[in-house]
Amino acid sequence: MSVFSPAAVIAAPQVFEVKTLASRAATALPGSLLESALYVLLAVVWIVALLALTGLALIYLERKIAGHFQCRLGPMRVGPHGIFQTVADTIKLLVKEDFVPDGADKVLHVVAPFLALTATILLLVILPLSPILQAADMNIGVVYVTAISGFGVMGILLGGWSSNNKWSMIGAMRAGAQIISYEISATLALLVVVLFAGTLRLSGIVQSQADGWWIWRAHGVGVVAFVIYVIASTAEINRTPFDIPEGESELAAGFHTEYSGIRFAFFFLAEFINMFLVAGFAATFFWGGWMPFHVGGLDGFNSVMDLVPAGAWFAAKTSALVFLVMWFRWTFPRLRVDQMMRLEWKILLPVGFVNLFAAALVVLYGLYFFPGT
Amino acid sequence: MALFDPKGARAETRQVAGKSVAVLLAPRLVRRGFLHDVFYGLKSLLTGMRVTLPYGLTTSRIVTRQYPENRGTLKMYERYRARLTFIRDGQGRHTCTGCRNCEKACPNGSIIIETAKGAVTGKNEVQRFIWRFDACTFCNLCVYTCPFDALEMKGDFEHAVFDRRLLVYNLNSYAGPHASLWDKVEDEEQRKTLATKISPYDGKVPLAGTSMAGCPARAHGEGGAS
Repeated sequence: MSVFSPAAVIAAPQVFEVKTLASRAATALPGSLLESALYVLLAVVWIVALLALTGLALIYLERKIAGHFQCRLGPMRVGPHGIFQTVADTIKLLVKEDFVPDGADKVLHVVAPFLALTATILLLVILPLSPILQAADMNIGVVYVTAISGFGVMGILLGGWSSNNKWSMIGAMRAGAQIISYEISATLALLVVVLFAGTLRLSGIVQSQADGWWIWRAHGVGVVAFVIYVIASTAEINRTPFDIPEGESELAAGFHTEYSGIRFAFFFLAEFINMFLVAGFAATFFWGGWMPFHVGGLDGFNSVMDLVPAGAWFAAKTSALVFLVMWFRWTFPRLRVDQMMRLEWKILLPVGFVNLFAAALVVLYGLYFFPGT
Repeated sequence: MALFDPKGARAETRQVAGKSVAVLLAPRLVRRGFLHDVFYGLKSLLTGMRVTLPYGLTTSRIVTRQYPENRGTLKMYERYRARLTFIRDGQGRHTCTGCRNCEKACPNGSIIIETAKGAVTGKNEVQRFIWRFDACTFCNLCVYTCPFDALEMKGDFEHAVFDRRLLVYNLNSYAGPHASLWDKVEDEEQRKTLATKISPYDGKVPLAGTSMAGCPARAHGEGGAS
């Protein structure tokens, strides 16, 4: 009985100290080179494990959820409820012939999927999953996120260009136009949060939400920014209703028509991890990331919320957003290219600018919840 | 952006070529403001999402059946048609008189009937009702044309075999009169001689133009005892 004392827990609100793996390595460096190297190794293993396991889980989930949305069961045969289906598919993709089509630009064709995956990995590095589970943190985090997610389109463009296939080419060009367009709106939405948080550092943005998540603390402008970010980021990761670059019905498979085996798997993996990343960043910026549900001033309530570990908060929020994106996919029809462009340039962009301006006013006059803290 | 407003539709009666005709007037395409379009669009997206959510979250709407696992409890649909069978009464008697209506109705010659005059009854009696499962298209025309309700298409499944000759067989389990003729024969001893038991594969199967080992080709309808 004496071990657990609720009063003691509630009396002391938790202070989250962010310790990234990179900062641990840097701290350990003067003392022990080995310890520092071990932290770096741990970070690498962590990123690779996150990449592989999240990919496996998300592909399985997508197929299950797709099945249920279509009155089907989804994978049921490989393992109980088909949980090993993705493993089996991965093995199949690994042993498939690595095929480069005739007349393709061989070097670019081989490099393209790695570029796509590289962008994904670079983003995984900075994603704050919990105060201690973040590989690296930097003071220009938001700029980094925007820059790298724009870099991902390089792989898609190169893949489509080098395939020597008109479907791939059209798909890649569409992807380029789409991703670069929607990048603007996504950035405008993130800037709203940057205005409120006053920092570009991702862990700083999470910690700035200790009194409440920006989606409700910044009320109106926060919600609008969140909606814009969800729409724009869904377009950035080429998912339905913005899967125009793939467009099965018109472009075979779009930019990855000519890809098979492991390099197709890389594109596929990058696509699914990007979905996880987009959900993770949306959670980080608008739903508080790993920050538990706090209301400024209610220390007792906040302490109760702190009983759930930070990582679990992040996982729950990200899962909910991933489900939202999958839900979009099985509900909305695909947009036409011109509709997609109109949505961005005539609707999202003006709304985003107005919203950013309104957010600036809200911040300037302190019209949001708990501005003093 | 012009939007269709279903509330704007109105019904009225118009005179067309001297007749009054009820017409539904499509509403005028109206141009609304930017904000209206954005909110209308968001609202319609949310409506769609509300429709699909229960499908994604619940398992009760799943129609997939796990076939090999559920074979014990699997019930096929009422209108599923597979194996042609005789409808039999409690004593295993069918009502087929051998009128050949089904044989004539069959579009691809899947039914061949051999009949003979019964020694006791003096009427046509089915000797063999041969059905080609391998050729049948399950169109159900034989069942429709049967005047005596002797046939039905059963809803069972798993009929795969390793030799297609096994798919050509006799539907009747005895060569003899149909059910109502039995009742007219009153002598017990005579009744016993009415029917001869036959198995599904008794006699040669007429393969309608195809020959197989031990079974020469025959023309359509050419039955004949083996």
